[in-house]
Amino acid sequence: MKKSYIIGAIVVVSAMVMALYSFRSTLTSYVSVSEAKVSSRPVQVAGMLVAGSNRYDLKKNALVFTLREDGGDEMMVEYNGPKPANFDDVEKVVSVGKYNQNKRVFEASELLVKCPTKYEGRVKGGA
Amino acid sequence: MNNPGELITGLALIAIFASSLFYVLLNFKQESRGARTAARVSFAGFTVFVTLASMLLMHYILNHDYRYSYVARYSSTDLPLQYLISAFWAGQEGSFLLWVLLGSWLGILLMFKARDLEPQVMLVFNLNNIFLTILLIKQSPFEQLVFAPPDGQGLNMLLQDPWMVIHPPVVFVGYAAFAIPFAYAVAGLWRRQYDTWVRRALPWAVFAFVTLGAGIIIGGYWSYKVLGWGGYWGWDPVENASLLPWLAGTALIHGMILQETKKKLRKTNFVLAAFSFILVIYCTFLTRSGVLADFSVHSFVDLGITGWLVLFMLVFTVVTLWVLVVRARGVPVSGKGEPWSYFSREFGMVTAMILLSLSTVIIGLGTSAPLITRMMEKASKVSTEFYVNTNLPIAVAVLFLLSFVPLLTWGRNSVSRLLPKLTWGVGGAIVAVAVTLIHGYPGIEVLLVSMFGGAAVGMNLLLMARLMRKKVTLSAGAMVHFGVGLMFLGIVASSAYDRSEKVLLPQGQVRSAMGYDIKFKGPEFSPEGKGLRARLPLDVTQGDAQFTAWPDIFSEQGRGGQPKRFSHPEIRRGFVSDLYISPVDFDPGRKKTGPANQIRLKKGETARIHDYELTFTGFDVSGMMGREGSHDMRVGADIAVSYKGSEPVVLKPVITVGQLHGPTSRVKLPGPEDATLTLVNIEADTKTVGVVYDGPGASAKEETEETPASVIAEVSIKPGMTVLWLGTFLILLGGSIGIVRRWPK
Repeated sequence: MKKSYIIGAIVVVSAMVMALYSFRSTLTSYVSVSEAKVSSRPVQVAGMLVAGSNRYDLKKNALVFTLREDGGDEMMVEYNGPKPANFDDVEKVVSVGKYNQNKRVFEASELLVKCPTKYEGRVKGGA
Repeated sequence: MNNPGELITGLALIAIFASSLFYVLLNFKQESRGARTAARVSFAGFTVFVTLASMLLMHYILNHDYRYSYVARYSSTDLPLQYLISAFWAGQEGSFLLWVLLGSWLGILLMFKARDLEPQVMLVFNLNNIFLTILLIKQSPFEQLVFAPPDGQGLNMLLQDPWMVIHPPVVFVGYAAFAIPFAYAVAGLWRRQYDTWVRRALPWAVFAFVTLGAGIIIGGYWSYKVLGWGGYWGWDPVENASLLPWLAGTALIHGMILQETKKKLRKTNFVLAAFSFILVIYCTFLTRSGVLADFSVHSFVDLGITGWLVLFMLVFTVVTLWVLVVRARGVPVSGKGEPWSYFSREFGMVTAMILLSLSTVIIGLGTSAPLITRMMEKASKVSTEFYVNTNLPIAVAVLFLLSFVPLLTWGRNSVSRLLPKLTWGVGGAIVAVAVTLIHGYPGIEVLLVSMFGGAAVGMNLLLMARLMRKKVTLSAGAMVHFGVGLMFLGIVASSAYDRSEKVLLPQGQVRSAMGYDIKFKGPEFSPEGKGLRARLPLDVTQGDAQFTAWPDIFSEQGRGGQPKRFSHPEIRRGFVSDLYISPVDFDPGRKKTGPANQIRLKKGETARIHDYELTFTGFDVSGMMGREGSHDMRVGADIAVSYKGSEPVVLKPVITVGQLHGPTSRVKLPGPEDATLTLVNIEADTKTVGVVYDGPGASAKEETEETPASVIAEVSIKPGMTVLWLGTFLILLGGSIGIVRRWPK
């Protein structure tokens, strides 16, 4: 085979190997509250926002709220980033992050909020 | 006739079928004029029907015809005109109609420009339109409701922004346009005209690049300007969905240019053209089928069209593979056996194409992760780290190429001849690295992006200037590359050197953050549509400079009874960096209550105190003076008061919002007794007022503390944003010039 093809193939294959490695290591899957509390990997937990539990804690510099999942299990979530646009009206919230055993709180790096399924007008115009 | 919209859509489907059949006929009987005319007329008919259907939908929306489910779901009677128009594409069904509409108009242009390749090009293009029209019929915007509600649900606040008005149409023009190079590719290969299709399709490919690119950039710009999270790209599936065909399209453009000049990569370009088009459908599938519903901030609902979308993709993949297999052996490969020179423009371009395709596949992998993992173990997604970690090295490589490949000529080049031309590139690299290191070492990968980005900027700026002097259209590519370099420098600056601080600002007090002294002057409320906008003026001072920032929070009644809040940041742009102030939280404060009864009344509620019966009937906003910066926002409450069961009198206490007390907020109650009612609080989002009763029968209650209004703001300094937007603008401008350059005479 031509030398250039071989070099090209090596580059592509090594890039894909690196990508797959990164893929596996950053995979976050959905778990339940109890699983999240014992997991050492980043995970996602879906649940309902307990009404009235969200507030901005200036000392911790974070948004704090309680997440309750379908089974009734609850956990405190702390999120350092900007408050998602529809946060106060949400039904379902997905927290992505890791549970901190010492502080007994789920430190979320990302929050996904979903509005009621028959959403009146979607965030993106159907793109 | 009950539902003209659905009838017209059905007619459109018939027309497009007819047109396709005639084009099939034309494929076998080239000379048949009758067939050609019939095909064209049917296509024109299709366009007319689709345009009529669109006009009908727009008519229903503008006239608030709530018999139609779509109109009721996405518009309301109080919506301003420009948002009524954009309600057309706010939802799935309308956006499909828009896509078909734009495709039909592009098709008319295509019909006239395709000339001898017309039958095959239009046939493939029509196949695309057939599928879209079927989807449109399945998900019809003309679905009627059993009974028409009195008012619509209104357009989501996030969509009520001028950028969000133009974003979807621009994106859909891009999606529709990507069908064209594909149609040409199939036509060319089928007719064994392996090179003419490239020359004809190239301006269309660049057009698709510019339009889809503009759509993507507008989306990012909106996200930055409106959402208040300070970013412009989240690697969310919907965002990635539009990026994938665009990256593939960029690779395609390079391949097509290479084929034009060196007659190589014929099969590759065919595959790339098909790939970019199929990616458009794949990404539509990802975003509209609900498979990613649990993994994205964008709300997805499975509308039952998943099966059709999969079929859509399969059909085109099969068509592509079939044509490729049948014609592959006949494709002439030029320069067989001739070794490629490594140090040549061709090799550089091919490497760039490989890198772009790699990025496409990787981002595609990440975006499809939930699908892939669902079939194996648990459905999971990848974090944003994945996209950054994998694309950073690719960006370094791309920028490295951009810093010298455009200078290379076709064929062999010598290093010694190249070196003197690199001065500007080297200069740019040195400046970029110096500026970067001054602000702190960002890690080797980011530093390399900065270095090669600077080199690319310097070199392509020189090239662009030189080519513009010869002939403007020749500078298209250099301008785009210059823009790409700037964009990456902007991305590095804003991602690696973004600094922010959160600060609590009680009304009237000066606090400092990020080197600025900030004072919250007090909220200004104004009712808007179904909710209330709280504008939060902040006096910002730094040294001698002072200005007022106006971030705001809009709140309205949500469906669950909870208020919904949308915040908007204030952005002060600078050439070097942006000052970004985002309201994180707002506390309207609590008023002092005197030793008297404070009553909270919801609209329509009645309360009894002493001998009075009070009913809050509604707000009176007739006294609102909406001058910019004025503190004279007055809101009144109409309270019907009945003394000892007599005829109720309507009192109208008024408060000047933003000030804690006002002279007109206290009204005397009817009747002989000396009693007053003071309006102390309004809450537009829950439609309640707070009033304080003072007079006989008032009980001495605990005084509650008066707390001032306060805002928690996040103050950020984001360097390089202007450079970033400038870069993206130049990409689009250069691309547009490129369309002109490649337009066949």
